[in-house]
Amino acid sequence: MRATLVVAAPVLAVLLVVVTGLGATALQSLGLMPLTGAPRLSFAAYTSENGELLTATGLSLLIAAASTALAAVVGLATAVAAMSSPRTRRLLTGLVTATVPVPHLVGAASVGLLLADGGLLSRWLGASPGTWPSLVAGRWPTAVVLEYAWKESAFIALVVTATLATRLTGYHETAALLGAGPWARFRHVTLPLAAPALGLASAITFVYTLGSYEVAWLLGPAYPEPLPVMAYRLFTSTDLAARPEAMALAMTTTVIAGAAALAALALVRRTAAWR
Amino acid sequence: MTRTRRALGLLLVFLLLAWFLTPLLPLALWAGAESWSGTSSLPQRWGAGNLTSVYASDGGAAVLRSLALGTAVAVLATPAGAVAARALALRQVRGPRLIAALLFAPVALPVFAVVMGLNVVLLRLHVPGFLGITLVLVVTALPYTTFLMRAAYAAYDVAFEDEARTLGASPGAVRWRVRLPLLSPALAGAAFLAFLVGWSDYIVTLLLGGGRYVTLPILVASAASGTGNEPTVAALSLVALVPPALLLVSLGLLRRRLNPRRSGSARRSDPAVSPLPLVEGAA
Repeated sequence: MRATLVVAAPVLAVLLVVVTGLGATALQSLGLMPLTGAPRLSFAAYTSENGELLTATGLSLLIAAASTALAAVVGLATAVAAMSSPRTRRLLTGLVTATVPVPHLVGAASVGLLLADGGLLSRWLGASPGTWPSLVAGRWPTAVVLEYAWKESAFIALVVTATLATRLTGYHETAALLGAGPWARFRHVTLPLAAPALGLASAITFVYTLGSYEVAWLLGPAYPEPLPVMAYRLFTSTDLAARPEAMALAMTTTVIAGAAALAALALVRRTAAWR
Repeated sequence: MTRTRRALGLLLVFLLLAWFLTPLLPLALWAGAESWSGTSSLPQRWGAGNLTSVYASDGGAAVLRSLALGTAVAVLATPAGAVAARALALRQVRGPRLIAALLFAPVALPVFAVVMGLNVVLLRLHVPGFLGITLVLVVTALPYTTFLMRAAYAAYDVAFEDEARTLGASPGAVRWRVRLPLLSPALAGAAFLAFLVGWSDYIVTLLLGGGRYVTLPILVASAASGTGNEPTVAALSLVALVPPALLLVSLGLLRRRLNPRRSGSARRSDPAVSPLPLVEGAA
């Protein structure tokens, strides 16, 4: 009884914020909670943007998928390299642990200083003016994906290293005794053991990069914009009629993120090492 | 064969070092650059002028605001996550799966979408900006604190509490002298993550603060979105890295003091190598 009361506070806080917030977003996207005038049900906000919604969704999915894939590969490689010796493990874990608390905004600011035209890399590589590829604010979200992949690979590495550290050694010795080579050990021991942690961490990364604003806003081009950036621009537009469209973009992001999270959870539950 | 593999392993470690270190390199160089022409590869003159100018401008106030926000989120989200985790771990509540799903749901939802809707509601109810921002960030931090404390409770033996009670300890003594010391590393880790959520936040502060609540990330973003501000951007960013770094180091020291066996040679079977728990600051 007392425990139920104690848990009620955090649960109510989550319900209050999430249900009220998403509820109001949904109502405004449907014209049912207008800033001025009478409420009237309309789906116009979801259809009126002449394919802008589709472009933004596609770009958001591209950024999230590319960042997650790169982060998962680097994160897994870091975790596997960390298993090679105690000293390597201390070095890599220290590096990764120091990267995770860096705010994404600071990461984005620094990556901008690194990759922009006239940035550190272009200076060091001696690029002559006008020849540097537009990694920042160019047609492709290169810098955006690299910043996400950098920060999130540290997160994935941390999670996977912790999982492997508790389980791997014994299995590896057994597999080696049974004559398994390095590749066979990776394929049949390391990968299955890492799969649940890798899958969940990747899912969190995907959902986070899909719904995150500041990195894409800072390092991406003015057009095309991913969902959160376009939503924020319309939200702060002086044209109040753009509000429902901003809310429709927010709802689209929410539905994709929620669906991706559920799908990932279902997939991870089917892996062998899930307990 | 083994030699080739060792060389490849070294190369991989070297590449990973470069991957993790390079992105922050410009901050260190630009923050210390008093003058750096467009073509040279290193600054011509070094100095601490950029860093001191952060405090000369209104950077100091922004740092204090960010510290207040991070602390408020940590102070609220850590105990809330801890009690929720305890109730879940000891199966003291009905519908534990539903409660866990609810508490973890904020991880799967884009916070900007929640806040855009909430904005109007908070305005109509006249909720002050700081309160609204804190509430949303506490909810954002709850999945992390709950998850971390849930993992800590999985490795926690309630028998210690029973033992203390058998020896005549009052409920208060059990809480403060048995449970709290045993869980203190996890609590510190959870508080660190919750602090990071508040310290790093940009979009929630932007949407709910309406430009009146200027935190350090707001300053970083406004400097970084302009052109020709490299020294300011780097100095502000470096300042933003100091509290997390200090907290991370003290977290490591705390763990070492509580568990001295781990210092020196790390034992191979140690589950927690890193002082940082397994969770991403949505940061």
